[in-house]
Amino acid sequence: MNEETAWVTQAQQGSDEAFTKLVETYQTPVYNLCYRMLGEPDLAEDAAQETFLRAYQHLHRYDQKRPFATWLLSIAAHYCIDRLRRRKFSMFSMDAEDDEGNTFELPDPDSPDPEAETVQGQTRDRIQSMLKDLDDTDRAAVIMRYWYDYSEAEIAASLRLTVSAVKSRLHRARKELAGLWQEEETRIETERRPYESPAF
Amino acid sequence: MNHQPFEEWLLNDKNLTPVEKRELNSHLRTCVHCTALSATGLALRSANVVAPAAGFSMRFQQRLAAQKIAERRRRLWGVIILVLSGLGLFGWFAAPAIYSVITAPVEWITVVIGYFLFAITSLQAVTEVLAVLVRVAPGFIPPYVWMVFVSALAGFGLLWIVSIWRFSNRAPQGVSA
Repeated sequence: MNEETAWVTQAQQGSDEAFTKLVETYQTPVYNLCYRMLGEPDLAEDAAQETFLRAYQHLHRYDQKRPFATWLLSIAAHYCIDRLRRRKFSMFSMDAEDDEGNTFELPDPDSPDPEAETVQGQTRDRIQSMLKDLDDTDRAAVIMRYWYDYSEAEIAASLRLTVSAVKSRLHRARKELAGLWQEEETRIETERRPYESPAF
Repeated sequence: MNHQPFEEWLLNDKNLTPVEKRELNSHLRTCVHCTALSATGLALRSANVVAPAAGFSMRFQQRLAAQKIAERRRRLWGVIILVLSGLGLFGWFAAPAIYSVITAPVEWITVVIGYFLFAITSLQAVTEVLAVLVRVAPGFIPPYVWMVFVSALAGFGLLWIVSIWRFSNRAPQGVSA
């Protein structure tokens, strides 16, 4: 029996200490999934806390034949999808925004290569803002695939879809992201052009 | 422009042979669509994992403790409301009887004894009738009818238990085993 299985068993028998160990182990993957799904740190924190609370309340239902991480991330994904559906009725953003409504992040001045860090940060922001435009379930599938290396079968089990549905959702999402990426590239090109030297 | 098989390779994250890689690279030089697919694939694969602010598990413990207190409070209020409404209903239905006991105790005691005797004699009569039926009925009813009856009863009982169990164990969305 590995350490995680022992913690799960102890937690199922009512040990809060063992459950805390599980929280400490999985806080980052769960928070990351919530953040990628919801796009805002405050909402992600709340969703991650709620995920662990639900897991705690329904731990007796957990089947140890299935990986604990998959079960936990499945709860998080479903919670975020529900939340996004509810939020569509009363949507407003708490992000830091500039005058045009674009979110921004200041580069870390202590990083060894501030320019590279800025470029990487911009790419991350781009991906994050493009994820927001995807369908909720497609977004969950993309996050599970690219952040957690889940197979199509694992994603299907977590999101209660068929493997072929997962495959088609992933393809659709990738094409949509590519389309958005292309649009963004065109926009950047158009913005850059007026400042270019006539010599070029 | 024909994007196949390059689009399929990119969408399925296929492990490419050196020859395929060369073919893909030359296609990417001319195809904006596949370049965007490739770029988003790279961006997705290189995206970082965001960690929560320090003290997450501490905040979770606080939230769990608050949740437990709220749950206990809800249960306590549930019990209080149940007891109070039970007492209220009992008072409502028992009020005429209590009033009659207070105003005419002898009459009430006589009525109660009468009811008690009636119940005892009715019970005795029913018991005797049932005893006679049990002695006589097996002769008339074939054994397979008993078996069907008992099996049907057991089946309904099982169905009822399973329904209650499934209903009480229903998990919220995403919390299945």
